[in-house]
Formats: sequence, structure tokens, C-alpha cells
Amino acid sequence: MKRAAKTCAICESGVRVVDFKDERTLQRFLTERGKILPARLSGTCARHQRQLSTAIKRARELALLPYIKGHVG
Amino acid sequence: MTHQYEVVYIFDSALEETAINEKLERFHALIRQEGVEPPALDNWGKRTLAFPIKKRETGHYVIAKFETAAAALPEFERAIKLDDGVLRHLVVVHEGAQPVPVTATKSDEEDDE
Repeated sequence: MKRAAKTCAICESGVRVVDFKDERTLQRFLTERGKILPARLSGTCARHQRQLSTAIKRARELALLPYIKGHVG
Repeated sequence: MTHQYEVVYIFDSALEETAINEKLERFHALIRQEGVEPPALDNWGKRTLAFPIKKRETGHYVIAKFETAAAALPEFERAIKLDDGVLRHLVVVHEGAQPVPVTATKSDEEDDE
């Protein structure tokens, strides 16, 4: 039985361009380890998933998000 | 041809406010354009970093949105790189105004690119 398609959380909230600075919303699309959730799990549409991945990579560079969570370096 | 840019600075948290403002003034003087409003500053203040940068755990975040010609950027970036008070910076082309995320209600006008 085909599961009902998940709606894209970013489209729902009406955001057109994903902002790399608010890491609170970006955090919802990361695993506990800090990796980017695949669109098939988070239900994000392709356009927003592309914006999301660049935004997360920029946030990581600015140390707003960790590359690896819980990593004792 | 001017474009909208957005830059995020991470200053060393050991610097005081006055030193940071003085550095910002020096940087933004390089990209000053006639007839264009000065950069809009957004001071996030001291924050702990997700991972240590240059052996420091905290950084002072400042975000500036400005409009300038592309020719002015290399000089601007060079000045930032030379300054060791700046731990890290990121210059990004501003992708349009950031709409305030409305609550999860269906927006009436359905505009799709």
C-alpha cells in the first residue's frame, strides 16, 4: 500500500529561500550525528533540498552547525 | 553594476566592542559606493562555536548586508584576510529578501517559479 507522500516542511512554512544563518530550522534536517537527512526521509522537495544542503554547508563553515556532533577532537 | 552581498564575520572574542567597530569601519570603507546606503549591520555578539576555530571556543559574530560593485570585492576580501582579528568570514551573494517564515498556513497567493 503506497504511503501518503510527505509534504515539504519548508514549503509548508512559506520560506522561499533557505537562510543559512538560522541554524535552528536547519538542525531539524540533520541526523543526531550531524549528517544531512536525505530528502526521501525528510520529505523535502528537490528545490528546497538543494538549497538546504548548500545552506547547511555554509552554516558548518561558519561554525553554526557542527560537522560531526559529539566529536571530541 | 552593483549587487547585493551579505558577509558574516567571526571576530576573536578577546577583542572589545570598540576594536571590532573600528575594524568594521575600515573594511566597509573599502566597499563604500556613492549613492548607496551604508551596510546594514547585525551584531549577534559572542556565541560558542560548534567546533574550535584557531584554538578558540567562542567567537563574536557580525553580519553585514551591503550593495557594491563586484570590482570592489577582491580588495575587501584581501583586507579581511590580512587582519588576524577575524577568525573567519564568508561573503555570499544575497539571495533576495528573506520572507518572515509565516506559520504553517496555506499562503493565499500560490506563486511558483
